Amino acid sequence: MYPDPTPLPSSLDAARIVSNSHQPSNEPMDWAGDMDAVARLRDRACFLRIYDHFMPRLCVYLRGLGVPEAVAEELAQECLLRLWLRAADFDPAQGALSTWLYRIARNLHIDRVRRERSWMQVQAAVEQAAASDGDEHSSAEQYADQARLRQRINELPAVQARLVRMSYFEAKSHGEIAHALGMPLGTVKSHLRRAFLQLQSKVGGAP
Amino acid sequence: MNPHHHLHESTLMSYAAGALPAPLSIVAGVHLEQCRHCRQRLRDAEAIGSVLLEKTQPPPPDARREALRQAMLAQLDVNEPVALSVATGSPPPARQGADPDALPAALHPYFGDSLAHLRWRWMAPGVHCIRAERMPSLIMLKIAPGKCLPMHSHGRNELTQILRGAYNDALGLFGPGDMADLDGEVEHQPVTVPGVPCICVSALDAPLVFSGWLARKIQRFVKL
Repeated sequence: MYPDPTPLPSSLDAARIVSNSHQPSNEPMDWAGDMDAVARLRDRACFLRIYDHFMPRLCVYLRGLGVPEAVAEELAQECLLRLWLRAADFDPAQGALSTWLYRIARNLHIDRVRRERSWMQVQAAVEQAAASDGDEHSSAEQYADQARLRQRINELPAVQARLVRMSYFEAKSHGEIAHALGMPLGTVKSHLRRAFLQLQSKVGGAP
Repeated sequence: MNPHHHLHESTLMSYAAGALPAPLSIVAGVHLEQCRHCRQRLRDAEAIGSVLLEKTQPPPPDARREALRQAMLAQLDVNEPVALSVATGSPPPARQGADPDALPAALHPYFGDSLAHLRWRWMAPGVHCIRAERMPSLIMLKIAPGKCLPMHSHGRNELTQILRGAYNDALGLFGPGDMADLDGEVEHQPVTVPGVPCICVSALDAPLVFSGWLARKIQRFVKL
């Protein structure tokens, strides 16, 4: 729905677009309607649309965190079963469906694989406090925010993009990143800070 | 509560990524419990994770995925309406404001639920502490009013959340609800304000073994 800001594609871009045409679902989507049908009508076709989109992505994410294929599949299945069971808890005004699922997958991984007992307790306390924040946006605004954020992530300088990726997709601590890249801890933190500010400047609206 | 000192952006990202070591995530959680501003920024940080999730390029469907899909469909039949009402992990009702000595919920498993019941141990003149059981790098500190702590730095990430009282250092005045998010390169010399003791909860990052660190560093620079 949002305008494509890219100019006419070069032949190289065109080739890439053609090769991507088998996966048209790779563009961000607005799932609010499907989620509503799952919650109110227990609509399986809508559920399966969500399932088919997110199941393989959740597996890729969990594999990246270093869990074996079978465990990744098991956790991804559990994420989506939770979505089916708790669809009524999903509030599109509070955030995108992908953020909701991301949080569930992250929490499951920390709880089941890393077995950090403290995490779920801390999460519960933070979510309890957040429940009264009343910070709501329309589903269309959320969608536009996600699209802008996606664009912004594509534009991150290479070093920042790498550190963001290591944080989110390998769940490496700052100390581990500093160690792996031979970079001072303070430099890791300041790169990540710059990346966050650059991404955030678009999330809330005007830069 | 309206804190003036917040979590560093990189700490928020690390928390959102599930990459913050456990003791640090507990102290960060205490701040998030008390700071709406940081909760909003945390949402932005989690949105980054969700966009990266969306951007992954999964392999095309195969027989294995079809089998998983069928297994999921079978699960939907079994799990239809009953479990719907079972909200696992729902937090206990908040009792905030009821008890002035109440500790933040994230600390309950380690220090109990009340400041009044803490059993402090002497650490140094004017300084008492309690180390969390099973998590030695999570520590509560009580520093006497008007006390000047020696100049120090930590060499590692350190998060400190102020629960009571206040202290001053080169970075400013830190009072209840404030977070000192220090990256280990900062040297500081906190001086607690007169009046009440300063009570805070603090966590240090685990020490890393830097074997072959210099070699690695040189190698990286040559590659870049």
